[in-house]
Amino acid sequence: MAVYFDRSQFTTNPALRFVAYGVIAMVLSVVHVVFLRFVSVSSVTPDLLLILTVWIALSEGQFVGLFAGFLSGLLFDAVSADVLGTNALAKTFAGFAAGYFYKEGFAMQTIGSYRFLLIVSFCAFVHNLIYFFFYVRPMQISFGEHFLIYGIATTLYTTVAAVFPMLVVNRKKDS
Amino acid sequence: MQRFIAFVVRFKNYIALCVLVVMSFSLMSFGDLAQLGGFRAVIVGSIGWMQSLFAWIPNPVALKSENTALRELNLQLSLESSRSRQAMVENTTLRKMLELQPMVEYRLIAADVVGKTTTQMRNYATINKGTADGVKEGMSCVTDAGLVGLIIGASDHYAVVQLLLNRDTRVAAKVQRSRVDGIIGWDGEQTLSLKNVPRSFDVQAGDLVLTSSYSAKYPPNVIIGRVSQVTDENNSLFRKVVVEPAVNFATVEQVFVVEFLPDSERVALERDIEERQRQRARD
Repeated sequence: MAVYFDRSQFTTNPALRFVAYGVIAMVLSVVHVVFLRFVSVSSVTPDLLLILTVWIALSEGQFVGLFAGFLSGLLFDAVSADVLGTNALAKTFAGFAAGYFYKEGFAMQTIGSYRFLLIVSFCAFVHNLIYFFFYVRPMQISFGEHFLIYGIATTLYTTVAAVFPMLVVNRKKDS
Repeated sequence: MQRFIAFVVRFKNYIALCVLVVMSFSLMSFGDLAQLGGFRAVIVGSIGWMQSLFAWIPNPVALKSENTALRELNLQLSLESSRSRQAMVENTTLRKMLELQPMVEYRLIAADVVGKTTTQMRNYATINKGTADGVKEGMSCVTDAGLVGLIIGASDHYAVVQLLLNRDTRVAAKVQRSRVDGIIGWDGEQTLSLKNVPRSFDVQAGDLVLTSSYSAKYPPNVIIGRVSQVTDENNSLFRKVVVEPAVNFATVEQVFVVEFLPDSERVALERDIEERQRQRARD
């Protein structure tokens, strides 16, 4: 049986959009756990769920971005065997920060431009600052030194990964 | 009431932020995923199954590194082999003379690493053996080179190993030559560190570090690594001992699960004493 699906439903039906975000988040978390080891550089990997959180915050606003960050962080904590709540907290703040750049009706313009990369890098910075604070706390190492090495590296790698969705949206915008 | 609603609507973002932050902290204090029991087994099983589907994809960087490591290991083993043959004969004679019991040997369960998870420098590996094969949470994993880590979750056919390069790693260890005790931990580098070694204690670069019989989690006398650097810091009573892990975690593909679980009576006694001390401190 052929199923005809109207893509414009995503723009008009928020419930459908949120279900799509949920599915994408689950796919990205699995991709992170299963495939990202192939592209890890000195154990540093891009944070795909953070990019999704920023995308959602820019498309739906700060309020939704907050919850998107919390839920995607919680999902990430669950699949990565991390302490529950650490990624949720960091991604909540990242979603909150990304929400400040929300402009109603201009989401695709923002995502399809270099501004998206700047927003992702800013949010990744905020995310890693909070995450690594809790990460380093039980260890006998300097937070500043550890953050400068791994926090900045993860921020840069996440920003590089954000180039792909930016280019896709940019191309769609042009066509 | 209307004022209150207006206030909530106006500051809904900040209120939601506060609520979510409180929820995150509550979850953190709730503890790690291990406390979620069955939920965890489902996640371990699903992730393990997906990782095993793609385990055939080679990682060229890891293969090259593994090749080099195997060549080095081969050279070391051929030297060790001749030495150990001689030592074994000597050991048997001396044991007879001292009437010592032979060391307990544990059953090993061979397993393949079907996935590795690197999440913000937390390192885990998924292996293709689970509770159906006799693997249980709390057992340790080794390779021919040395200690790999600890099983922290198991489903029927898969298990997750918390590698030594993990911030939660704490292993009671001893220096083979001088029998100095310490605790192995990981500080985010590619090396491990032997903690709680006072400045006056004898530890030198090149010393072999083994698991200690004091450990309630790991079997004794398993190689952890070799001391690569010892420094005395001015403002510390302890030495900074850097240990190069014996296992190359980037290339590990096969492991053995050691059927060793800590003695429950010993664990219960230690917990009881700890609880009593805590109670005394509270009073």
